[in-house]
Amino acid sequence: MLQCIFLLSDSGEVMLEKQLTGHRVDRSICDWFWDHVISQGDSFKSQPVIASPTHYLFQVVREGITFLACTQVEMPPLMGIEFLCRVSDVLSDYLGGLNEDVIKDNFVIVYELLDEMIDNGFPLTTEANILREMIAPPNIVSKVLSVVTGNSSNVSDTLPGATRSCIPWRAAEPKYANNEVYVDLVEEMDAVINRDGALVKCEVYGEVRVNSHLSGLPDLTLSFANPSILDDVRFHPCVRFRPWESHQVLSFVPPDGEFKLMSYRIKKLKSTPLYVKPQLTSDAGKCRVNVLVGIRNDPGKTIDSITLEFQLPPCILSADLNSNHGTVNILGNKICSWTIGRIPKDKTPSLSGTLLLETELERLHVFPTFRVGFRIMGVALSGLQIDKLDLKTAPSRLYKGFRALTRAGEFEVRS
Amino acid sequence: MAPPAQSQRSPSPSQPSGKSEVSDLKLQLRQLAGSRAPGVDDSKRELFKKVISYMTIGIDVSSLFGEMVMCSATSDIVLKKMCYLYVGNYAKVNPDLALLTINFLQRDCRDEDPMIRGLALRSLCSLRVANLVEYLVGPLGSGLKDSNSYVRMVAVMGVLKLYHISASTCIDADFPSILKHLMLHDSDTQVVANCLSALQEIWSAEASTSEEASREREALISKPFIYYLLNRIKEFCEWAQCLVLELVTKYVPSDSSEIFDIMNLLEDRLQHANGAVVLATIRVFLQLTLSMTDVHQQVYERIKAPLLTLVSSGSPEQSYAVLSHLHLLVMRAPYVFSSDYKHFYCQYNEPSYVKRLKLEMLTAVANESNTYEIVTELCEYAANVDIPIARESIRAVGKIALQQYDVNAIVDRLLQFLEMEKDYVTAEALVLVKDLLRKYPQWSHDCIAVVGNISSKNVQEPKAKAALIWMLGEYSQDMQDAPYVLESLVENWDEEHSAEVRLHLLTAMMKCFFKRPPETQSALGAALAAGIADFHQDVHDRALFYYRILRYNVSVAERVVNPPKQAVSVFADTQSSEIKDRIFDEFNSLSVLYQKPSYMFTDKEHRGPLEFADELGNLSIGEAANNVVPTQMVEENDKDLLLTTSEKEETKGSRNNGSAYSVPYDGSSTSVFASQTQIESAVSNPTLAGHSPQASFAIDDLLGLGIPAAPAVLSPPQLKLNTKAALDPSTFQQKWRQLPVALSQEISVSPQGVAALTAPQALLRHMQSHSIHCIASGGQSPNFKFFFFAQKFEESSNYLVECVINTSSAKAQVKIKADDQNTSQDFSTLFESALSKFGTS
Repeated sequence: MLQCIFLLSDSGEVMLEKQLTGHRVDRSICDWFWDHVISQGDSFKSQPVIASPTHYLFQVVREGITFLACTQVEMPPLMGIEFLCRVSDVLSDYLGGLNEDVIKDNFVIVYELLDEMIDNGFPLTTEANILREMIAPPNIVSKVLSVVTGNSSNVSDTLPGATRSCIPWRAAEPKYANNEVYVDLVEEMDAVINRDGALVKCEVYGEVRVNSHLSGLPDLTLSFANPSILDDVRFHPCVRFRPWESHQVLSFVPPDGEFKLMSYRIKKLKSTPLYVKPQLTSDAGKCRVNVLVGIRNDPGKTIDSITLEFQLPPCILSADLNSNHGTVNILGNKICSWTIGRIPKDKTPSLSGTLLLETELERLHVFPTFRVGFRIMGVALSGLQIDKLDLKTAPSRLYKGFRALTRAGEFEVRS
Repeated sequence: MAPPAQSQRSPSPSQPSGKSEVSDLKLQLRQLAGSRAPGVDDSKRELFKKVISYMTIGIDVSSLFGEMVMCSATSDIVLKKMCYLYVGNYAKVNPDLALLTINFLQRDCRDEDPMIRGLALRSLCSLRVANLVEYLVGPLGSGLKDSNSYVRMVAVMGVLKLYHISASTCIDADFPSILKHLMLHDSDTQVVANCLSALQEIWSAEASTSEEASREREALISKPFIYYLLNRIKEFCEWAQCLVLELVTKYVPSDSSEIFDIMNLLEDRLQHANGAVVLATIRVFLQLTLSMTDVHQQVYERIKAPLLTLVSSGSPEQSYAVLSHLHLLVMRAPYVFSSDYKHFYCQYNEPSYVKRLKLEMLTAVANESNTYEIVTELCEYAANVDIPIARESIRAVGKIALQQYDVNAIVDRLLQFLEMEKDYVTAEALVLVKDLLRKYPQWSHDCIAVVGNISSKNVQEPKAKAALIWMLGEYSQDMQDAPYVLESLVENWDEEHSAEVRLHLLTAMMKCFFKRPPETQSALGAALAAGIADFHQDVHDRALFYYRILRYNVSVAERVVNPPKQAVSVFADTQSSEIKDRIFDEFNSLSVLYQKPSYMFTDKEHRGPLEFADELGNLSIGEAANNVVPTQMVEENDKDLLLTTSEKEETKGSRNNGSAYSVPYDGSSTSVFASQTQIESAVSNPTLAGHSPQASFAIDDLLGLGIPAAPAVLSPPQLKLNTKAALDPSTFQQKWRQLPVALSQEISVSPQGVAALTAPQALLRHMQSHSIHCIASGGQSPNFKFFFFAQKFEESSNYLVECVINTSSAKAQVKIKADDQNTSQDFSTLFESALSKFGTS
């Protein structure tokens, strides 16, 4: 059971405190925590679960805001962490982003939300859809309305219910003039490539995101052309398990609005769309760098937003790097970032230059890892394809939209 | 409305600014309190916001309590919420003023809007003021019967809050049985879930005093109820599902078909989007199949994919929590995961605590088929920017080398590390090569060729230097310039700051001398001279010992210092399997993340450990079983609870193994890595005591001090003790706190006793044979601390003892506390005589 939740700013200031049980948690725990964070260096590098002398602390850091929860009893750790993640999701959904100012300006809403999300240390509703029924989000429209009508309550008029219908994720029965449903396949490719160009590991983590604006209680089925390539899947609670088990068909009554229908993992992919060939040769206190980037497997659509980043080893005094395409920047923390954009037709982008080593060093011993970013619209690189989306008792006008997108996740090239 | 005129400044300008603002607010609130002007709610809202924001920053605004309550008469729900928040925060410190709020909260509890009813009820119960509980019963009772499920849900939690303020009020109002009825019949699953969590807490707390409550608690894990919940599990919200799943883990199915039914029913939970649900389900699966070995293995196969997906899909925080659990499973069943080793490859951006877990898993899953890939990958990390991780990965390579039969390729890799010219890589690799040679002496030729090329000047870290020196000594016959390298090290004796290195140097010189006397003789003389003049006691003692034994007989010296060695087959594990099983039983809990069973870390308030746990940094506390513990079991428990401490020592011994090797011991005894029991048995034999493995004591004897005659056995005391005494730690703790010290004295310990006290449990077993039982112990040489207890024969009169033994001064500080003060002197005599026999029997 969580006993208390604190929201801390990026300077360690307590922005919000929510006591949950009779055991009052003293604020001094935050001081202890902050000292601990400082002693650990970067806050994102300290562990998500820490034992302080008096409490066990869960911390989740989002956009510079630390969500800190305390407990003194044994509990499932993932429950604490998941809950804090949900809190941050719901808050950023409500407030249109997370930062110190927006929380301070809207702390009453934050209190209201926490009040509904957790009672006596046990999480209740964390579905943004349901919460929105109880507490209206602060938006410009409601602000304007409140000025015009003089009714400034941001609480909606509908009656709350613990779980209002037998489908907990779908609160009320909305009505739409235009019935629309959009399905997006969003994939992230994680890959590790060795210095000899060998693919050490390559897998895709993907999500099926649905945005549904459908009247009544729509019952949807979504099927894939090649479900057998999926290695493992996780579903939103709305997905019925049996149809998936027997026919690999997703059958569900969607929540209203945007949600993540399913996430999946496909491992052991054989190739990457790009190649990156780094070459580092050391000689007499200098290191020559040459990196080539090009298309290995044409995915059929444009690869754009290509970037390449690497940390210069600490033993390097200065770096002189140039490219024949795109821009090269060396940031303050010795991170070299090369923005390529798209690969031009007529040449192969290359980055070259020299690194000057510390005086005593002859050769470079620590080799940088190159992190690659890219984006491909219109293609799911894993090859997963949506076959069809059906709606039982379809309304007269239904618009269905499908999109796909692949981007680089943890895409690393070693040198 | 215009802001009120700044008529009243703060009375004294020296007051902090917060105060003046608070009094400003007070004034403004007072003006608004009675006002019914249009728009007054907006002004109130601004003011309330200010008050709450002050409260949030930490400024004490409790002085506004009265005004806030006065302003609370409003229909605006946001104002109400802010007011509830304020009242909830300060009612506890202002119990008298809190009474003022009861009125309006009670009125709100009858509001027609269910939202307001619910909120008011929640706030009412959150006041947590003991003398207001009488006002809670009515609203709670009607809240539980409310037609709106939101109000019922709040009311159920309210009952739990009431129980924590005043258990008797809650029980007297018969709320538990109302909750039970709701739990079984309410249509709303959130209400059911809240009832379940409330009743679990209430009945667990009541179970110790009320038989009915404990019966009810048992009923929660009865078949019909569990099935009732399981059949509805999909209707519950995800958090409530976790709660239900946790309850299911406690349920014991009657036969295997039931187990399969439950698993089939829950299988789709493994695909749930919420990681907490997935882990809770996994725990159910693992618990259910614990006794069915083959199904248990299938469960591992089944849960593998969901776990790996959770690791790769969540935020870094979630990944870490899941990874910790995965780590536990991998350590238990590495072969299941051996084909998934690529999942444990480290990514550049991962925080180092994640990398560390992954390195351990990579080490565990390595087998014949994947070793090559894993070692190749680990070698990549050796060039990592993060130096601790680079070190860790080299160590991992070493561990794999020690696990595997085919070490050919790995040895080459390690030797490459030695040539990488990075200090820390060389340092780690040296330590590993040394360990490797101890296990596979057949590799010595390959290794020695490379090690011989390393300049000792490039090695600075004591551990690495010690390893290098050990190898120089051990293989001096194969290394051309070993005597000269050692000689140059001896010349720089004064610049060597680590005593460990100096000790190794002495021993290495000796070994080198036995193999190549003409080249070493003068350097050995210099080393012994430097050693005898050394400030460090151990170094001085060892040098002196070597000197004397050499003068006595060189061949004896060789037998003592450089006996033939057996290759080490298994290095001591750092964590006992008992502890690992314990953690496994606590799957899906914090224990897994801390890698310790919960009794080792959870809060005192919630587990009631021994009060003195904090006093002893290194103390391990036993959950000494039930109230009736047969002697045998006590002994086992003691053994278990001390396992960690003693094993740590053992491991430490094996790490700086150079010293372990060079410890002079009787050539006829087996390896130094003989198990604890062997050492003990050697020690318990009085004729062997002089050659005990504890170097320092052996030296004492060899220096001719001799063993002093055993102290005269004290006259047998009249007191008779119960041989099967039992006491649980919490009772011990309580008594220790309550009782005054009856006796406090210093007892000297016999040299044999000191020699035998290599680890705490040696004494425990001895004392147990005298009907004095240990409840907790800890410490490392030379300081040991014990807590003993004993019971009078056929009487429930207890004696509690705190005993601190310092082996270097051979003294024991004893504090005795007793239920029966008159007999404490007798008991003390008994204790003293028991202690004096230690090491002689």
